[in-house]
Amino acid sequence: MEQYRSFDEEPGVFPYSPDIDPEPSIEPDHSPNDPQHPDEDHSRSPRRVQGRQKSGVDSIKELGTIQIPEVKSNIHSISIVGQIEGHLVLPPQNKTTKYEHIIPQLVAIEQAPEIEGLLLILNTVGGDVEAGLAIAEMITSLSKPTVSIVLGGGHSIGVPIAVATSYSFIADTASMTIHPIRLNGLVIGVPQTYEYLDKMQDRVVNFVTSHSKINSAQFRELMFRTGELARDIGTVLIGKEAVEKGLIDEVGGVSRAVAKLKQLIADRANNKGVTLQ
Amino acid sequence: MILWTPMQMELVLEGIENMTSPSYCQISYRGVSMLVEKTDGGRKRIARLLSTNPADYLNTDYTPGKYLDD
Repeated sequence: MEQYRSFDEEPGVFPYSPDIDPEPSIEPDHSPNDPQHPDEDHSRSPRRVQGRQKSGVDSIKELGTIQIPEVKSNIHSISIVGQIEGHLVLPPQNKTTKYEHIIPQLVAIEQAPEIEGLLLILNTVGGDVEAGLAIAEMITSLSKPTVSIVLGGGHSIGVPIAVATSYSFIADTASMTIHPIRLNGLVIGVPQTYEYLDKMQDRVVNFVTSHSKINSAQFRELMFRTGELARDIGTVLIGKEAVEKGLIDEVGGVSRAVAKLKQLIADRANNKGVTLQ
Repeated sequence: MILWTPMQMELVLEGIENMTSPSYCQISYRGVSMLVEKTDGGRKRIARLLSTNPADYLNTDYTPGKYLDD
């Protein structure tokens, strides 16, 4: 160290070459052909090495993620929310259900062999009569078991959609508003207007009465009842009231609905087996 | 169109006069024909599927509202 002393004022600078010879004269300890090292002796036979699959704990440790198990469900669920949008696009403040996407999805559900049932979740304030009836007719004509559940609300055109399924549920606190159809926009005060409106109303009433236990007179009575709604005539049915009127089959939540759907799927499979034999 | 809803019509139809119609264009993306909407950033957003294959409607890659990556 004596020799470096004079350069201490410039720390980090090392003006002398190291003591080791810079030439590449260092020999390896053994030759590649040394028989004492059998690994180098003969060429290795190729071996397939299979990686171990990471366990859940490993992947959390290494990647900070968890493996989500891929569950293939045999039921599909469709939610009908907000306004059911018809032939006119509604302003963007509305949450809408678009029939042009729902209808082909129902076709796919009917056709796909791995899908065995459909769960329909409703929380809707109604909407376009044509679009709502189109969805309802599609659901009722599916050959696969369908179960609907009304959560929150299934108002106006939500009623035919709720009753279109093989079995329907309503949550204890969910409500369904039944009230008359009205015309929007310019209304001409002629008898034909009333006739037209009555025809439109008949479409809905006929659908509801043919797909639930309520009859036409009872449904119309609910529709034209006065003194229940603040700004309209009609009725609000809450939870078990809808069941008592025969519109909905049962009060229940999602667990009951899924259990019922599974039972309907099992029944359908059993019936199929019997008819084929 | 007959809207049948307990909601007030003024609320439902508020702003309908000022709605601008988006510029739609029909394209085929990975063999699936669809109607896309060009957004301000030049990206394409799926507005509606036009495919005749019902399975496309269950494919989450083609959900309306999804942006297409070119």
